[in-house]
Amino acid sequence: MATMSVTEQALNTYVRETGGWIASQLEACTRCGMCAEACHFYVATGNPEYTPIWKVELVRRAYEQRFTLIGKIKQALGFEKPVTDEDLRHWAELDYYACTMCNRCSMVCPMGIQLADLIHEARAGLFEAGLIPSDLKAALDKQIEEGSPLGADDETFDDRLEWIEDDWDVEFPMDKEGADVLLVFSSIEIMKFPDNLAAIAKILDAGGVNWTLSKEGREVTNFGLYAGSDELEMLIADRVIRAAKRLGVKRVVVSECGHAYDALRFRAANLRGEKLPFEVVHITQVIGELVESGRIKLKAGAFENGKVTFHDACKIQRRGGDFEQPREVLKILAGDRFVEMTPNREEAWCCGGGGGVIAIQDADEVRRAAFTIKIDQINAAGATTVAMTCSNCRLQFLDCVDHFNLNWNVTGLAQMVADALVEEG
Amino acid sequence: MPERETIYEVLQKRGVTRRDFLKMTILLTGALGLEYSQVERVRVALETKPRVPVIWLEFQDCAGCTESISRSQNPTLTSLVLNDLTIEYHETLMAAAGFQAEGAKEAAMEQYYGEYVLVVEGSIPQGAGGVYCTVGGRTALDILRETAEGAFAVIAVGNCASFGGLPKASPNPTDAVGVMELVTDKPVINIPGCPAIPEAMTNTIAHIIALGSIPELDYLKRPMAFYSHTIHDRCLRRGFYEAGLFADSFGDEGYRKGYCLYKLGCKGPTTYNACSSLKWNGGTSFPVESGHPCLGCSEPNFWDNGGFYQGQSAPLQRPEVSVVGIAAGAGVVLGAGAAALNASAKKKAREQAKAASHQKEEEKEE
Amino acid sequence: MNPSDLMRLARGPLFYFALLFFIAGMLYRLTRVVGFGWKKDLTKPKKSKIAGSLLAFVKSVIIWPFIPRVEGSLKRNLVAYFAGGLFHLALFLVVFLGAAHMLVWKSLLGFGWPTLPLPVVDWLAAAGIVALLVLFINRLVNPVLRTISHAAEYLNLLFVFLPMLTGFFLTHHLLLPYEAMFALHVLSVDWLLIWIPLSRISHFVFYFFSKAIYGAEFARRGAQP
Repeated sequence: MATMSVTEQALNTYVRETGGWIASQLEACTRCGMCAEACHFYVATGNPEYTPIWKVELVRRAYEQRFTLIGKIKQALGFEKPVTDEDLRHWAELDYYACTMCNRCSMVCPMGIQLADLIHEARAGLFEAGLIPSDLKAALDKQIEEGSPLGADDETFDDRLEWIEDDWDVEFPMDKEGADVLLVFSSIEIMKFPDNLAAIAKILDAGGVNWTLSKEGREVTNFGLYAGSDELEMLIADRVIRAAKRLGVKRVVVSECGHAYDALRFRAANLRGEKLPFEVVHITQVIGELVESGRIKLKAGAFENGKVTFHDACKIQRRGGDFEQPREVLKILAGDRFVEMTPNREEAWCCGGGGGVIAIQDADEVRRAAFTIKIDQINAAGATTVAMTCSNCRLQFLDCVDHFNLNWNVTGLAQMVADALVEEG
Repeated sequence: MPERETIYEVLQKRGVTRRDFLKMTILLTGALGLEYSQVERVRVALETKPRVPVIWLEFQDCAGCTESISRSQNPTLTSLVLNDLTIEYHETLMAAAGFQAEGAKEAAMEQYYGEYVLVVEGSIPQGAGGVYCTVGGRTALDILRETAEGAFAVIAVGNCASFGGLPKASPNPTDAVGVMELVTDKPVINIPGCPAIPEAMTNTIAHIIALGSIPELDYLKRPMAFYSHTIHDRCLRRGFYEAGLFADSFGDEGYRKGYCLYKLGCKGPTTYNACSSLKWNGGTSFPVESGHPCLGCSEPNFWDNGGFYQGQSAPLQRPEVSVVGIAAGAGVVLGAGAAALNASAKKKAREQAKAASHQKEEEKEE
Repeated sequence: MNPSDLMRLARGPLFYFALLFFIAGMLYRLTRVVGFGWKKDLTKPKKSKIAGSLLAFVKSVIIWPFIPRVEGSLKRNLVAYFAGGLFHLALFLVVFLGAAHMLVWKSLLGFGWPTLPLPVVDWLAAAGIVALLVLFINRLVNPVLRTISHAAEYLNLLFVFLPMLTGFFLTHHLLLPYEAMFALHVLSVDWLLIWIPLSRISHFVFYFFSKAIYGAEFARRGAQP
């Protein structure tokens, strides 16, 4: 059998993945260009190729040329350029380097097109064509083979947990039968923010939650989603789903990680073609519930230094809906010291590091450029501490704070909560 | 060939004094739309030009235009045209009948070959060899061809003679046409209207017989003197149109207030005629003034230009519900066909992908 | 062919054909898109997706799609908001509330409605034409629009521009005799009716799809559409 060319493989993906959902949105676009002004990569760099809808160009061409009569006629007359290998390489840079799939553009689009999902679609074809950036590919392979993109293999995972248990004085129940809740971490937290693991363990314990970790489904990070491969995304998500099913938990709590939450909460069931027998919630929601129901008590005014602001993460806030819980918590902890950035909530500017962008070294420049918007926002708000509920954002913040020599304190919400827990007698 | 009389001589014989003749000259100059300085030109023409006769033929008509011209409110001009200048042949007006009348026509055609003015009222049927309209056993087609041959010019009066009029209305069973479709080697002047405005007819005839020239015409061969403005241009209800004040139905408040009749189907904006300036019955009124929308009777195909009470801007045909249904059905069926093709393309793409990944695995195993 | 014949052709058989082509073409396109099939959503929505879609419609269709809802987006897209908004507003008002246009609808639908005074329609038409020109110039000079525009985008503007321009000339008796301009106006509309199903001007149909998706997607994820 003849092997398909690179281009053919990409187009083939677009052809088989195009349903009414994608088609109707492609048909709705009038190319008004307003999405550009909502995109941090465009706004920071002024590169017109970073216009979100332009990043979908390959999908549009494939759609029109393969599925529409007019597209076929236009192609025959030379108005439609066929997709070439060169194009694919060009768009691989646009789609992997310069999109965090934060979907802010969708808010501005007069048609309300879900651009992030279309760009994810564009990535799917590029992935099939083997054009995924090499560092992202390496991390993906690592996750497939070792269970973690950052190298938290079985042994490392055990070692890290042991170390955290000792140093932070917490306990991590492992594969506990009869637990109500399965807690899953992101690899960033395991490898870079051990204090976050400890903080979440403390919060759950304080709230009297019957929880457990699982060796099999220990990591929820999903590089398959970043890469654009439904198959691998499903493979990775399955590890958690299998563990949760085996343990029979009612709830899977995703720790401070955005894309992992998106994959498990809003995509996994559809990719598998079956409803999940458990609820998937983000730790932000759990904290909110515990605080609201009074199961954990927080020390009011625990935050004392300067002003704190909250960074809305794309997958947890704009695309996850957990807007108010972190704000309620921060109001308790900081009172008047809590300030909002403008714009915020659904309209928040993205950190610039999501969607796997932070894992791609060649994208460093544009990633850091995108962050300058955030710098202006936070300076305008007058905050020196930034809290967030996504470790990926946090990683981007820390990298950029370092790069731009900013004197900020970057922290996770869970950590702030854990530090302010009031022990009840 | 005997010496022929000039128009002035004909008038003198009828007892017109020099003074009356000069008055008439001034009047005629005005009626022809010429400047006062041209009076002299008209006088010389009337005094020196031999009188030319007019032959008036009627085919598929209702004699409405004849009625109209005979009720012209300008007696001097009417009598000049109808009586003094001798219409040699006019079926409705002449006293003679039968072979005698036909004989008179033939004599005039022979005597004034190349000079007489032919006026045609009514359309000419072409279907079945023209048998739908015959006079004295000969078809209208035949008579027109023969009579037009020796004419100086042909004046088509009324919409029927100009553009086919009512007989040509869809489905046009007799295959009727206007004069200009048949007479192409002679000047043809159209004076459309249903009926034509009498002054437009008399003045045009007078122009030709007095000056021996063809008046300035528009692209539909209508004299610019009467057809250079639309009814709408000079309509007395125009102000209401501009202000957006319309009568929505006959007898409603807007109608009683004399608002614009545009929404009642007035064709004024695209109808060129002098109704709104010359008016009818000696300047008494005209349809829009009297409360009825203009029908557009001086335009080609006025019977088929949408309903009389349908908006002037409306499309001519409204697709039947069944036709729309067929179009919609065709769209859906074709769309479903395209969807099926697309579905099979998707299926093929899936199979290809499966085969490719299978192949990859095999390669790996090797 | 004289203007009178051209007018008859444009208003008669050509319009008839164009209208049927438009109906068939739009349904073709709609069926083709719907025919791709929709996957069932198996995730548990955070908020009602139907309510989300309805809210998106209320915000974008009933209130006005051009109200900027994202902080700073008005300032960043001044031309798109003002020229785009004005163009759409003028187009809809003129097409539905101009007396001559209402009579077209009336002849097709069998019922009519009150119309705007001519001077108002006239100013709206002028505003729409200016807005369209601004949009066109913007597409020529704005680097983003230049990047993402294909030939079709320029043709869309041109083919919408022609009926607007000829309509304006027509009412003002400019350039050509009334019926000649009338014929050109109707001809350009006939062509537009044929062009719409072949182009993105059909966004007025898929708008409802994408807005429903938008509302459902944001509601499913617990955010405000």
